[in-house]
Amino acid sequence: MKMLFAETPAPKLNLTKKLLLLNWPFLALITAIVLVGAASLYSVAGGSLEPWASRHVVRFCFGLALLFAVAFSDIRWWLRGAFPLYVVALLLMLLVPLIGVESGGARRWLGYGEISFQPSEMMKIALVLALARYYQWLPPEKIWRPDALLPPMLLIGLPMLLALAQPDLGTAALFAIIGGGLLFLAGVSWFYFAAGIAGIIVALPHAWEKLHDYQKERVLTFIDPERDPLGSGYHILQSKIAIGSGGLAGKGYMQGTQAQLNFLPEKHTDFIFTMFAEEMGFVGAVLLLALYLLALLFITYMALRCRSMFAKLVAGGMGLTMFAYVFINVAMVTGLVPVVGVPLPLVSYGGTSMLTMIVGLGFVLNAHVNRKVTFRPEETRTLW
Amino acid sequence: MKKKAIDYGGKKKPDYARRQGYRFSRRSLLLGAGQAGLFGLLGWRLHQLQILDSSEYRLLSDENRMTLQLVAPARGTIFDRFGAVIAEDKENLRLLVLPAFCKSLPGTLAALGKIIPVSAATRDRVMRAARRQSGYYPVLVAEGLTWRQFALLNVLAPQIPGMRTDRSAYRRYDHARPMAHVVGYVGLAGKDEVDLDPVMRLPGFRTGRTGVEKAFDRELRGSPGSIKYEVDVHGRVVRELDSKPSTKGRDLVLTIDHHLQTVALDRIKDHRVASIVVLDVVTGGILVMASTPTFDPNDVAFNVNLDQWRALGRNQDHPLHNRAIRGQYPPGSTFKVVTALAGLSAGVIDEVETMRCPGSYAVGRKRFRCWKSHGGGINVHEAIKQSCDVYFYETAKRMGIDHLAVVARELGLGRTYDCGLEGEKPGLIPDKAWKRAKLLEAWYPGETVIAGIGQGFVSTTPLQLAVMTARVATGRAVLPKLILSGQDNVEPWPLLSLDLAHLDAVRSGMIAVVNEKGGTAGRSALQLADVQMAGKTGTSQVVSSRNEHKLSAYDRETHALFIAFAPAHAPRYAAACVVEHGGGGSRAAAPVVRDVMTEALLRDPAGRPAFVANNDHALPAAVAAIGPVR
Repeated sequence: MKMLFAETPAPKLNLTKKLLLLNWPFLALITAIVLVGAASLYSVAGGSLEPWASRHVVRFCFGLALLFAVAFSDIRWWLRGAFPLYVVALLLMLLVPLIGVESGGARRWLGYGEISFQPSEMMKIALVLALARYYQWLPPEKIWRPDALLPPMLLIGLPMLLALAQPDLGTAALFAIIGGGLLFLAGVSWFYFAAGIAGIIVALPHAWEKLHDYQKERVLTFIDPERDPLGSGYHILQSKIAIGSGGLAGKGYMQGTQAQLNFLPEKHTDFIFTMFAEEMGFVGAVLLLALYLLALLFITYMALRCRSMFAKLVAGGMGLTMFAYVFINVAMVTGLVPVVGVPLPLVSYGGTSMLTMIVGLGFVLNAHVNRKVTFRPEETRTLW
Repeated sequence: MKKKAIDYGGKKKPDYARRQGYRFSRRSLLLGAGQAGLFGLLGWRLHQLQILDSSEYRLLSDENRMTLQLVAPARGTIFDRFGAVIAEDKENLRLLVLPAFCKSLPGTLAALGKIIPVSAATRDRVMRAARRQSGYYPVLVAEGLTWRQFALLNVLAPQIPGMRTDRSAYRRYDHARPMAHVVGYVGLAGKDEVDLDPVMRLPGFRTGRTGVEKAFDRELRGSPGSIKYEVDVHGRVVRELDSKPSTKGRDLVLTIDHHLQTVALDRIKDHRVASIVVLDVVTGGILVMASTPTFDPNDVAFNVNLDQWRALGRNQDHPLHNRAIRGQYPPGSTFKVVTALAGLSAGVIDEVETMRCPGSYAVGRKRFRCWKSHGGGINVHEAIKQSCDVYFYETAKRMGIDHLAVVARELGLGRTYDCGLEGEKPGLIPDKAWKRAKLLEAWYPGETVIAGIGQGFVSTTPLQLAVMTARVATGRAVLPKLILSGQDNVEPWPLLSLDLAHLDAVRSGMIAVVNEKGGTAGRSALQLADVQMAGKTGTSQVVSSRNEHKLSAYDRETHALFIAFAPAHAPRYAAACVVEHGGGGSRAAAPVVRDVMTEALLRDPAGRPAFVANNDHALPAAVAAIGPVR
């Protein structure tokens, strides 16, 4: 009798074990991508460590400490902390329109003195955790029910609305992609996705009316860059010229003319892939993409090996986030999607995006370290 | 039993958790495949750009550089109500450099320095600008060149790599000093603006800084055109590929009559600081908004003389400030019009009740003085006519501050109007809730009493006083307008919620102020045969008598105010004038209003058809006449 209720003891993991369980090749891969970023930033600055390359590396080292801290922490903390973290992130996002710092016609930042911080970045991680937490709690047999879909829709919808209000179309789209992808992974029926897509198609003309003029302009310019060759179309056009002129083998490291001659805007942040592709050519660009793809495959593999739904979804969700960033950024600079201001993770210069990505990867590794852990039902029943 | 139950569960119920696990695996593999597929799409795109079309892009990037030259739009012209030009773009001959095409920027600048003076400061500015932005954006070196210099530069152009000349525009202000505060001025785009719009990077591009130029900047700005050139490696234009003309900004027609405005400024400029507003009470159009001291926007907008600019900023009297909307003054006795209307509407006084004025009024232990002892028999009419403080102390005390505030707001005080000027101040109409919220204190009865004669917390701007006067004159909720729109025959303003009989009583008091013997502004009656003016004087204390000795003679002198409307029995014009530290309202402000009002009545700008700009009806604007880079 007792046997039936006895549980397989949760594997007690000490730090040594955790170190062994860590996916070191994956970490090496991440480091490689960051170094590619540092090299590109060195080139963008015209062959100088200042002002970007050195800080990029320093930030990564700082980020690594965080990554280890997250990866080696107890996964149960995060199971418990998922909803509170989400609530905090949501409150911070609510604060943005009230006391946020305005730049370029949108309020996105919270700032105090030198330090500024974008709550929507924190929300990307909190959203993944909260959704994973929800599906860990939800009994699998109830997953098909429409009322079980309501809380996750709220979890995704609230930050989306807040991001749209900022207004930040790119982030809202990211939330939608991450949230939708997680629901898909969690096993929500195909039927709902079909219905959702149909709904979007119906709602699209109405949404168009609601867009800000500058957002409409971006979409229109994207469809026809010649509309505004010196405004937003300028960026796409110059980016395409830079990438295209790179050719098969590229112009050579630090030899890019478009980027070096300041034709490119934001060449150290959102448009860094352009510069990389110009200097390294098709071969280099494809290799960089291959590195990312490899990292994504690693993440998928790690997600598959987890036992608990929570860990699976956390790893899968972070993978989705990374994929969305990379794809949108590269598609943007090659003129496949409108310019929405999404950085290339780990390569673009920028503290907040780097931190988000690194912490996200920390959670992937955390899930991987805790791959054998399962949770008792009562552990998931409380809100925290 | 238990065991059985568990077995039952295990057999009958499918293992949902396991199913979900499998589903996760299936779907994440599916997503993984999808991700790989989308990466394939990126690869295909890179292949297209870098392999298939590479030669085309390389051509654009290497051998032949394409430059896209923005063509600045002409700024919309600003007219006064009869079509006199107030601000327009004029031709401006300029010298620019394109740093990317210079062999060496200092060399080019040195060569240019032999033809026209290039100061060290200019050189620094050009070098800094060249470092900050793309070398393909031209940087301004000098503007406002003479034809001689311009011709000489054009002749020498082939020998100086990277230089360009062009004919652009600068902003010319006519009737500059009287119109300065209304029309405002333009200035080089600020750092924060530059990031918003690439047009701002155009050398010498100016945006509105104050006044109408700022409030309607978007409309006036127009939209830039562009010319796409193919240039060789030395920056010489090989051919023009494509061009899109710029669109001139919208022309604006102001409600101001510049002639009347000039008369008004001439009349007030003897005073150190003063302002006057005249409204058309029917449309709300602002006919005059003059403020002294003033300045010349031409000095500020173009070829700025730094010393002059600093002197303007340092001047104690702040010539750059538009007193008519930014000066907040206690309205003094002009506020009695409001107190009277509020008292009548509250029913605490009526047209016949009389009071005695012994020359002072006691509230608790404090005594408030009247400016003179008026004796008995003071009713509303006499109280306004003679400006009896005691009558209004009592009226205010009887009705309380909150009702007074309601009526004051009904008459348009204590708010801004957004009529198209930047930096309007709201003034202040206090009430109990305001004091509790702002000063965290209870309201004292003594404060009600002094609010009744427009002192204490009450403050208003000249524009607000003019609006108040227009509302009293018409009984309608008039709002001021600064821009004439095409369709001028608008419907009349909504009626105020005030009794007509009460308004008549107050108006008759105001007529008596100017036209009856014993009225406070009796000396300022119009010298016209059949037209009368109605008005109210105001003399507002600046400091309490206890602190007077701390200030200089000028600073402790009272503000002089006067509000008026005319013709008295069929109002068309309303005016308000404030002379800072001008002494008594009847002495300093009333004569000014009398003269300006006389001119307004004789000229009758409101009665004559206004000018209509030809692009006012959203016609496609004319092609800009600005020449591109040669």
